[in-house]
Amino acid sequence: MKTLLIKSVLIAIVFAIGFSSEVFSQSLTGKQIVEKAYNRSTGDDQTSDLTMTLINKNGAQRVRKIKQFTKDLGEVEKSIMFFLSPADVKNTSFMSWSYDSDQSDDQWIYLPALKKIKRISSDSKNDYFMGSDFTYDDLGDRKLEDDTHKLLREETIDGKACYVVESVSKDKDYMYSKTITWIIKDNFIGNKKEFYDEDEELLKVLTIKKYEEISGFWIITNSEMKNVQKNHKTTIVLNNVQINTGISASKFTERIMMRGL
Amino acid sequence: MKINRLILILLLVTGQYSMAQNPDISGFVRNYTGALYDNGDFSILQNTLNLDLTKSGDKIALKANPILYHYNADSLDLRLRELYVDLYFKNFDLRIGKQQVVWGKADGVFITDVVSPLNLTEFLLPDFDEIRTGVNAVKFDYYLGNNTFEVIWLPNFTPTEKPGASSIWYIQPEFLITPTFDWSRAEVKPCLENSEMFIKYSTLTSKIDFELMGGYTWDDYPAMHIYKQVDMSSGSPVLTGLNITPEHHRLYLGGGSFSTEIKGIVLRGEAAYYTGKYFQTEDPLAIDALVEKDYLHYLVGLDFSIKDIKFSTQLIQEAITAYDEYILKEEMGTTMTLLARYDLLRETLHLELFSYIGLTNEDALIRPKITYDFDDSFSILVGSNIFIGDNEGRFGQYKNNSMGYVKLKYSF
Repeated sequence: MKTLLIKSVLIAIVFAIGFSSEVFSQSLTGKQIVEKAYNRSTGDDQTSDLTMTLINKNGAQRVRKIKQFTKDLGEVEKSIMFFLSPADVKNTSFMSWSYDSDQSDDQWIYLPALKKIKRISSDSKNDYFMGSDFTYDDLGDRKLEDDTHKLLREETIDGKACYVVESVSKDKDYMYSKTITWIIKDNFIGNKKEFYDEDEELLKVLTIKKYEEISGFWIITNSEMKNVQKNHKTTIVLNNVQINTGISASKFTERIMMRGL
Repeated sequence: MKINRLILILLLVTGQYSMAQNPDISGFVRNYTGALYDNGDFSILQNTLNLDLTKSGDKIALKANPILYHYNADSLDLRLRELYVDLYFKNFDLRIGKQQVVWGKADGVFITDVVSPLNLTEFLLPDFDEIRTGVNAVKFDYYLGNNTFEVIWLPNFTPTEKPGASSIWYIQPEFLITPTFDWSRAEVKPCLENSEMFIKYSTLTSKIDFELMGGYTWDDYPAMHIYKQVDMSSGSPVLTGLNITPEHHRLYLGGGSFSTEIKGIVLRGEAAYYTGKYFQTEDPLAIDALVEKDYLHYLVGLDFSIKDIKFSTQLIQEAITAYDEYILKEEMGTTMTLLARYDLLRETLHLELFSYIGLTNEDALIRPKITYDFDDSFSILVGSNIFIGDNEGRFGQYKNNSMGYVKLKYSF
């Protein structure tokens, strides 16, 4: 069984941002820009089919498919994922409860071969998710106060005017020395992000390929993370995204983890 | 038996429904070849076909899990690990049929996890998902929020499978003279009176997960009732006959388990208290050379990471209460387990070391292995099972069975 220590929800990749056509003044600070990117509204619940494709430097592909459900219950956001493929992780499920407070996430994994739900540590943010180029931290909801944010400049890429913000972790042991994010000025959606390693060399580049407005919310539905040092990459595509369908809270329980889809 | 008829009817009805709807098929094919370091003999030559057939609906689901083992000399062993029907209701579920039940928070140690018996024909070496055998049962689960109340009724007792006399895992008991075995009481007659019952309460919360359980069961290991014939004609006792009657006895047990996370470390614990367990004794006043004692089995474990290496360790103790010096088993036995795992090459290469370490007898089973995934379906595993330590120990007694092995597996 492959390691499946997963950090939180994948539906909102890194900086999927609530829509806003409002044009903000250029006097915004780096922190304010990132805050607007983080504080997006994503609805009360979401469902989607996720396809993750790992592509090595020779172009060979490995594909992982996941069905995921998320519900915001106020002070806690609960999510559950069901792994559909590859065969050796099929019917594995993962549940996460994330808190608005400083409380650590609660995470459990159900391993169908062992017929057992195991509590797993949420202290694995720097681990790579299922052998992909995304760490759990890349996929999770990094908190605004975890980094110091600085507006570097404004520039246009792919025809879109962007803020360019540098973020440096307050944790000296964090795996990235800094990240630089291009945030689209007119809707505060992240368009590109660069990750620098401990030696301040460029390690990875995240590119948003597509975002869509679904039920009034902007959702990134196609993204690519490329490791420029090792020349391999991972794409994540979301399909069948549904928002505010009224998912029951009972979906996020031991019963459903073991029962599956 | 009525219960089996009921299962059959349910499976036929749901099976027809299932076939019409194309069941979901998955499984694996595996070749497993192992050789002993001691003499180069093959310890195992096994091909396996595991099929997992499922059909799930909103109110009903069906599962069948046949597994076919092919050994050298073309011997086949077809097993039905699971064959059951799930019925889903608003607040409760029913599972009827042959099923595997896994309880507790321990890994590779069976404390409250006693509903499904074990297949120990290859000692503790099979994967943990293959070491349990299915049992005919009716399982009822009632849900209240994040709380689950579970009741399991097993109409008939299924004992743990042990290695046959020709197996390299068979340990020949030592007696002063050749005994005569009476197997007339070795089986537990399948009848209502002899059925087993288990209950469990479990919950997942934001702080801690825990389970409480109780069981009215049979001891998987039969007590050996020994009747000695002694000739006193020479003035001193001379053993002239030894009659042994294996017999399973009722066990009552209660216990629980928990797991919680503290600063990135998962702390686990599990304990069970057994009453009605028989132990072999040399007390001359004991009837059939047996004494009944209560028994405590418990564990504490930690799961944590250092850098990119994941560790899991457990300390396990077994203790006999109101112990006396005539009992052959030690008053207390202590064992540790250690697991270290490191994944690299984008999780295609996995290095793992798992060990049972017997602290009481200073012996161990050390299990290093390397797995490489050629792709998402095909993998190769190269491993070793190394037994070391005291010949009297649970692991040291198999010192001559240390082996290397290769597993090729295709999952679909």
